[in-house]
Amino acid sequence: MAMMIPYGQRITPDDRTTTSRGLMRPRPGGRALRVAVATVLALWFALPLVPLLLWAVANRWSFPAPLPTAWGVDGLVTALEQGAAPAFGRSLLLGLAVAAIATPLGALAARALTRGIVPAPRLVSALLLAPLALPAFVAVMGLTVLLLRARVPATLAVLLLLVAAALPYTVYTMRVAYAAHDLAYEEEARTLGASRLAVLVRVHLPLVAPGLARAAFLAFLVGWSDYVVTVLVGGGSLVTLPLLVGSYAAGVGNEAIVAVLSLGAIVPPLVLLLALGRFGRRYPTARFTGPTPSRSPKGSP
Amino acid sequence: MLTTPLPGADARARQRASRERWVGLAMVAPALAVAGVVVVGGIGMSVVQSVGLLPLVGEARFTLDAYVANGDELLTGLALSLGIATASTLLSSVIGLAAAVIITQGRITGRLVAGLSAVTIPVPHLVGAAAVGLLVADSGLLPRWFGVEPGAWPDLVGGPWWVAVVLEYTWKESAFIALVVAGVLATRVARYDETAALLGASRARRLRHIVIPLATPAVIVSAIIVFVYTFGSYEVAWLLGRPYPEPLPVLAFRLFNSITLTSRPEAAAVAVITTVVSLLAVAVGMALLRRTPLWR
Amino acid sequence: MHSTAPRRGAVAAALALGLVAPLAACSAEPASSADAQQYASWEEVLEAADGQTVKLWMYGGDEQGNAYVNDVLVPAAAELGVTLEQVPIADTPDALNRILSEVQAGETDGEVDLVWVNGNNFGTGKEAGAWECGWTDLLPNMALTDPDDPLLLNDFGTPVDGCEAPWHKAQFTFVYNSDTVTDVPTTLDELLEWAKANPGRFTYPAPPDFTGSVFVREVLYSVHGGPDGVPLAYSEEDFAELTPALFETLQELEPYLWREGTTYPQNSNELNELYANGEVDFTMTYGPATLTALVEDGTYPAGTKVLTLEEGTVGNASFLGLASTSGSKAGAMVVANLALSVEQQVAKAQPDVWGQFTVLDLDQLSDEQRAQFEALPESPVVPSYDVLSENANPELASAWVTPIDEEWRRLVLTQ
Repeated sequence: MAMMIPYGQRITPDDRTTTSRGLMRPRPGGRALRVAVATVLALWFALPLVPLLLWAVANRWSFPAPLPTAWGVDGLVTALEQGAAPAFGRSLLLGLAVAAIATPLGALAARALTRGIVPAPRLVSALLLAPLALPAFVAVMGLTVLLLRARVPATLAVLLLLVAAALPYTVYTMRVAYAAHDLAYEEEARTLGASRLAVLVRVHLPLVAPGLARAAFLAFLVGWSDYVVTVLVGGGSLVTLPLLVGSYAAGVGNEAIVAVLSLGAIVPPLVLLLALGRFGRRYPTARFTGPTPSRSPKGSP
Repeated sequence: MLTTPLPGADARARQRASRERWVGLAMVAPALAVAGVVVVGGIGMSVVQSVGLLPLVGEARFTLDAYVANGDELLTGLALSLGIATASTLLSSVIGLAAAVIITQGRITGRLVAGLSAVTIPVPHLVGAAAVGLLVADSGLLPRWFGVEPGAWPDLVGGPWWVAVVLEYTWKESAFIALVVAGVLATRVARYDETAALLGASRARRLRHIVIPLATPAVIVSAIIVFVYTFGSYEVAWLLGRPYPEPLPVLAFRLFNSITLTSRPEAAAVAVITTVVSLLAVAVGMALLRRTPLWR
Repeated sequence: MHSTAPRRGAVAAALALGLVAPLAACSAEPASSADAQQYASWEEVLEAADGQTVKLWMYGGDEQGNAYVNDVLVPAAAELGVTLEQVPIADTPDALNRILSEVQAGETDGEVDLVWVNGNNFGTGKEAGAWECGWTDLLPNMALTDPDDPLLLNDFGTPVDGCEAPWHKAQFTFVYNSDTVTDVPTTLDELLEWAKANPGRFTYPAPPDFTGSVFVREVLYSVHGGPDGVPLAYSEEDFAELTPALFETLQELEPYLWREGTTYPQNSNELNELYANGEVDFTMTYGPATLTALVEDGTYPAGTKVLTLEEGTVGNASFLGLASTSGSKAGAMVVANLALSVEQQVAKAQPDVWGQFTVLDLDQLSDEQRAQFEALPESPVVPSYDVLSENANPELASAWVTPIDEEWRRLVLTQ
């Protein structure tokens, strides 16, 4: 179980390993079925994105033309004129802020929970996962008045709610990461005279880095894609990309702008996801081939 | 005297244990504080508002009026929300599991499905709703491509069966389930599958006896998340739905934003009911999970 | 709730919240006391406004409206030392809702300063103390409006009382596609007959959508022989007597509507989409200003025309409301005054800018100023305000609106 890092690991086995397993080689009938299922699934996932891509480059697309009647980037130009760029920046900042807070908080809690040093661990875990079971609108309706009364600035209030919404993901991801994490490395480093800080920076963090990246990405998504909390609790102080999408989707003839804004809302997380995939794939091989658990003084756990 | 033959060592151990507990508490405290404020505060304040103790105008007075004010709409809304959430959860579990199996089989097809489902993950639901609308509405891409007149196209958006809403949820959440389940399968299935193949198990039997049992806990966990999310989510049902009947979150939002000042407690009452049902759903899901053989 | 006097309600709210002072009750006590943001003269306002940031919450689904505010109004406000920020929202109740939450919490430096508002949102907000009142007299440009203009004195039957500064005028307008509608109706009654003769080609948004709600009230006028048949002030007796005929008419109409009336567009935008895609032949709007651009860019069919009814349609004015929880009241007043200036009203009336009808009284203007309005180009689609507002009907008091909307849900939508 030395490589229990489900998230960082590349999910699809590569061709060489599958084809080298003779018994696992596909038979023709199975292959046709697999290709058919895969094609349907690929269509299923890709199809809804097609109208967005087309509308984004349509200057005019009257019904019932199957393709845009006039191509162009009017949508992009208008979206930029209407403040898409600052909204993009605000969304980015919000996502990063949520990730920057929820990830360390989740990691700390997860480490304590996996080490079994938390009193009433079941209750604590349940509370940390509870935001998942709480519909966002309930939290918003309940807390708006409370937060306003407590004079919490709108931006901070949004951040608080979104961090809470992100915590279940970061806690869970980091628990998985710490479950696979071998404390022996840290103890060995301490025995060899490394300071606490050095152990943290040079042993502990590198070992859980893929988990951290994964947790941060999920937390980023929570902040990046939120609509309800930002609009009701943020009270207009934070005009993010989803807010622009929402207000343009509420007007007629705005399809091109909505499409451009929507694509703008998909691209950054996608880039992060790709980076994460590369990072997760490269990282374990680069770092983890060092000491194997059996070489640690206390043996394999 | 009988109890502590070695008082010094025992005390030290106890002291150490108690110090560790403080450390543990300190480590979970920040996360617990944030989650606690939001969960306890959110539910608590919703309850307080729903029983009339925090009115916008008028006197604060305990009353359960808000719970009966919209009786019929509450019940139809509850049934509708449960229906939408159940349909979305079942469909996305099946599709997500199929995608996960294809992904873990590798090769070009697996990577294609993995890549495309990964693109779906970061799409905000609001954007997803806009996209599905542009695809399947009366004047959407599909009727345009198939040359179907709006009148002849089925009422997918705003129709009586909430098809577009379920489609959007299923689209997004099947990708989520595929990701979670594929993550689990990738780490576990390869070894068992190979062993079973060596022992002569057929493909169908390997799927039935190894892949599916291994995936079940992950499917259940992610299905709970999907159910609770689709049950309590607002934007999609609002954008792709119809004015009547309304799912609970849409009903709550209409009441919350209504310009009738008495409707806020009613909105809070809907919120409380939604929360109770969500928590029940989680409890049922967890009970199911405990009954699966591979859950520890 | 409706029977609670506004004053008592607001005071009770204040007590309930454990607050003492400056909440609410603007209808009863305009210019509430204990507020540092009270100004005796326009000079004081200008001085206090310098450096303030003002957030204007407004419906953000209208590209031209956003462009006017951001490209014309914001720079002009900056010259006066006020930083104006537009907050685009999906629906005006979002803004009111925010102010009400702030009132509930006793906030005094809230997120909302100005709101583009009228009608029911204004009326309910006023009842709950959402608006600062009695400040429009300070605005120098109020002198350019007609002091006796009924549209500016009462907003859907609610006395304005200086709680909001006028911004535009609007006329409820039916729009049709002249390529498909050949037998053009000239009265609302004929329009309903047309709908029955052409099943599936007409519908209206479900109230409480603003536009759908107006349509239902137009039908109420129509079934009682015009606005004179319905008292503007609300009473339960009148409601019980007058509305059965209305709902009977709408129930009769239902099977002939789009999708056999089994459902309705959720808001005016959905109706507009149906019209844009040729699924219905009529749409309706309270903002005919946007039609020109929508036809020009091909969203609406080229044959789009405005339908003028013999009996006229409802007209109203919309306003800039000043939130009672605002911390930048002086800045908000400066912006409201600026928005009333001749330059801004002319710029906003340009069809290619926003095309909104002015609230100014042309008789109060100098010849030169009047000439600027007269020089406005004519739209090929939208007639001038004078033509549109001929026989304009008054709006019913806002107390009518919610009961009618709720009854409509009960008797028409859910049947």
